[in-house]
Amino acid sequence: MDTLEDSREDSRESEMDQAIARRLGKLRTMPVQTSRLDSLLAAQLPQPERRPRVALWRLRSLRAIAASVAILAVIGAILLSSSGGPVLASATQMAQVHEDIVSGRTPVMQVDSITEANKALAAQWPQSPTVPGVPADHVMACCMQSVKNKKVACVLLKSEGVPITMTVANASDMQMPTAPVMSDGGVDYRVQSVGKLNMVMTERNGRWVCLIGNRPAERLMELARKLQF
Amino acid sequence: MDQREATRRFYDLIWPHRAAVLRTAQVLVSAVHDVHDVHDAEDLAQETMMKAFGAMDQFQPGTDAKKWLMTILRNARIDRLRTSDGAKPISLDQMPLEAAEDSTRTETEDTWENPQDILDRFSDQDIIHALQHLSEDDRWTLLLVDVEGLDQQEAARILDVPVGTIKSRTHRCRKLLRQALLPVAKDRRFIHE
Repeated sequence: MDTLEDSREDSRESEMDQAIARRLGKLRTMPVQTSRLDSLLAAQLPQPERRPRVALWRLRSLRAIAASVAILAVIGAILLSSSGGPVLASATQMAQVHEDIVSGRTPVMQVDSITEANKALAAQWPQSPTVPGVPADHVMACCMQSVKNKKVACVLLKSEGVPITMTVANASDMQMPTAPVMSDGGVDYRVQSVGKLNMVMTERNGRWVCLIGNRPAERLMELARKLQF
Repeated sequence: MDQREATRRFYDLIWPHRAAVLRTAQVLVSAVHDVHDVHDAEDLAQETMMKAFGAMDQFQPGTDAKKWLMTILRNARIDRLRTSDGAKPISLDQMPLEAAEDSTRTETEDTWENPQDILDRFSDQDIIHALQHLSEDDRWTLLLVDVEGLDQQEAARILDVPVGTIKSRTHRCRKLLRQALLPVAKDRRFIHE
């Protein structure tokens, strides 16, 4: 009898132990405001060097096409925004989303991993689409944004020292733009540019994903290819 | 390594972990409400990041940057506690295992029925506040193992103790934390007496 009692007690103790461990683990998704720390450090540390951008002839021509497409996209977006169906996010809007996050104008939650980002985003909006995994890149922050009244999950990554914003929405909420298509590994990507920013958009597993950053489109596609859905 | 390369490596490999450093510092100094404490935590995180920058030549790319930063944070915290007039770290000897065992005697078998549900009703601030009932070493153990999710060997290396110590300490500290939360849970009627 004693052995049975002991075993029951051990099992109960173990259950409580695990419950405490899980609750403590949730502190990892606690939002941390790093703006003051960043300012303190910026005053003392040398600033990182901006890497020269590798210009690609293909992207230059793409940019010209993208500028025309952007105008069409804005017109299309205006027409679509009045309906409840999928919306067309313009390249300018997506670039703005990225710049607002990187500059700190958009409040973000500091996170260390995609798992943490998904937890933090789900806490804000339970219907948030699951953000795909990104191997070997630093995950820095996340937030929810509204693009034409559609919720978009945003994750700020750092890839080879350059900030990249990954935005994810339900594929049923977003339309793919009429932008030049580039294929890589059997997956089609729509490529757009605004100023120095490139963005690649794709749809996979019912999700619309857009990667935005000051990186060549090929590098963004390479990153998109590694996404784990 | 020249300064340019050290700076590049710092921003690529170390900078992304500053939120984890600040979070750990906040829990250590219980920086939840008080502005002074919040600034203390930020100062500690700043000192840690600056020390990391100064020691970039010692960091091995490919190794765990967060673990490295936690070691620096731990040493910076110890230095601060040594030089401060106020709070001294409580030695583990002052809080032996028996204390935790005694304290749980007030719990009945059914006190923590559905423990996960009960614990999830506490806010993060409640949990951080309860962690202040633990000694500095105990708090570090739970911070590394449960909050930051490091394995026990990594935690042992950072805290410079044997793995066996981390194992026993983790179990004992979780028990102590539970005990610290018990009166609050009863007060808020999360638990019925």
